[in-house]
Formats: sequence, structure tokens, C-alpha cells
Amino acid sequence: MSNFILRKAEPKDVPDILRLIKELAKFEKMEEQVILTEKELLEDGFGDHPFYHCVVAEVPEDKQSSDGYTVVGFAMYYFTYDPWIGKLLYLEDFYVMKEFRGYGIGSDILKVLSETAVKTRCSSMHFIVAEWNKSSIEFYKRRGASDLSDEEGWRLYAIDKDDLLKISAKKR
Amino acid sequence: MNFKVRAARKEDCKEISRMIMELAVYEKMADQVKTSHEELERDGFSPNPFYECLIAEVPDEHKTKDGYTVVGYALYFYTYSTWKGRSVYMEDLYVMPDFRGKGIGKGLMAKVAQVGVEKQCVRLQLSVLEWNKPSLDFYIAKGAEDLTAKEGWHFLRFDGQTLDTLAKEAPKD
Repeated sequence: MSNFILRKAEPKDVPDILRLIKELAKFEKMEEQVILTEKELLEDGFGDHPFYHCVVAEVPEDKQSSDGYTVVGFAMYYFTYDPWIGKLLYLEDFYVMKEFRGYGIGSDILKVLSETAVKTRCSSMHFIVAEWNKSSIEFYKRRGASDLSDEEGWRLYAIDKDDLLKISAKKR
Repeated sequence: MNFKVRAARKEDCKEISRMIMELAVYEKMADQVKTSHEELERDGFSPNPFYECLIAEVPDEHKTKDGYTVVGYALYFYTYSTWKGRSVYMEDLYVMPDFRGKGIGKGLMAKVAQVGVEKQCVRLQLSVLEWNKPSLDFYIAKGAEDLTAKEGWHFLRFDGQTLDTLAKEAPKD
């Protein structure tokens, strides 16, 4: 099956995007952490100031998934900034449904995003991968990705809303 | 010591550029800095900015031996988590060595946190080098959790020639 197209996501794709987000979270063993709703995805991606951009992979009707879906993959990205090198393209989520793997959809999505990065003057594409996710790490390393956590010692930290409120409320 | 935290203006970019280099030297990666203050101006102060910046300023009588009154900065931008929605990412937080221990770092970070909460962000993320113990202690004291340790997240990157090669292979419409 080589018939698929890659296109910019539209508002009508939001239910499919959320479905795929949940499938990916399930694969990453973190399904219960998805609290985003269709309403938020719509507002945040297709409003006046989008927080993200999205590319979807679509197959023709006659090739739909066993559950009847034609949107079978997606990639969500946005632009970030490295004060040392400038604009970066940050790949937040990247997923192709299991039954549609091995046809080059993932590969093509990555190439399209790389082209977007180059066209928009980004020096680099960054993303994070869970260290146990060997198949994904292999996929990326085969294409030339370097692991900055291993090579340079970078660690990701997060401060949640409750602690943010505490920090922002403290007076000098 | 009296200090003020305010949003950076275009004319602050020369100072921000100076401090970016100081922070890179501290992180032992000075050779990796390629941006100029002109690029910072273009990327932060156009109709579609790619980052926001706060600076910490001291009054004239406390200026540095080189005559600077801008003594710290925090550079951040908005990101998006497909699980939780809007987030704020603090890319750089820096206070000049002579001005540490006076609450300036805390003040800068409090302002970033405040901006994040106002914009309905569900969390603040940042990255720290594993050997940078003073910074790790500073953030952990504020509730930061090491997601690399807890969930195994690693940072990966495609850059330079690798990115160009991938881009050239993109399917044509």
C-alpha cells in the first residue's frame, strides 16, 4: 500500500488527532495522563495564535483502518528558540497507526518536517524519546539523530501548576 | 539590593547577547553560540516572536565593574503538550556571578511562572546539565521533577547536514 497523502491538519481533523494522541500515549504507557480535550485542541491549534502545527497522513476510503478511519498518522510540532543558534523546529508527537507501519508514512512525515524546518530557517529539529523506546530511538538514529542527553548530559525537568502558583505568589 | 524585573525591549538585545555568552561559558559550550544581537532582535521583537525575555536590572549605583545595569535574564517560550495542553518552557535563566544570592534568580523565575499561569499554562519545563548541581538544587527546591530520571526522557536532535539530507528527500506534492 503506497497510497497515502500528507497534508496540513484542518479543524475537522481534531477528533482524529485526539484519537491518535491517545493511541500514542497508550503505547508510551501513559494513557491516563492525556487530559487534553477536542475543544482545547481546536482553540490552541486553529485560533488566532496557534500553539502548535500539525501534519496528518490520510489513506483513501478503500484502504481505511479496521475501525473505519482514514486519518492514520500525525505529527505535531511548533517552533522553539535556542539562544545559541536561533529558531528550532520541535517535534512534539509523531505517530502512525500500527496497521499502517512499514509503508514509509513515518519516513515521509519526517522528511516533510525536515523540509519545513529548512524552509523556515530552523537550524535543527529537536524532540524527546523515552529511553526504553528502542524501536523509535533506532528509527531516529538510523536517520542521523544524536542523543543530547547521552552526549551532553541534558536532563528534562518539569514544575507543575501547583508549584508554579507557589513560585509566582512569593513576594521579594 | 534593589533590583527590577521587567520585559526586555529590543534595545536590550545587546545585553542579552552578552549574558547568553556568559552563560554558555559557564556551561562550557561557548563555541556553540552562533547568534548575534541582531538575530535576537529579529526573532524576539517581530510581529510573530519566537521567544519572550525578562531582564533583571539594578540601579546605577550598583552597576557592574564594566558599567552594566542589566545583570540577569530569563528567556522562555510557549510549548504544547498533547497530553496537557499549553506549557511554558524556560530556555535560559542567568544571573551574573557578582549578583547572585540576592533573590534575583528567584525574582526572574517568579515572573516567568506568573506569565505562564496568566497564559493558562499547566506547567513549566526546563532542561539542566546533569553536573550543574547549584542549578539542580535551585530548581528542585521549587518543586522541579527530573523527568529524565522518572520517565526516561532523552533529548534528540537532527541538525546540519542530517537535516538537509532529510529535507531533500521530502516527497513533492
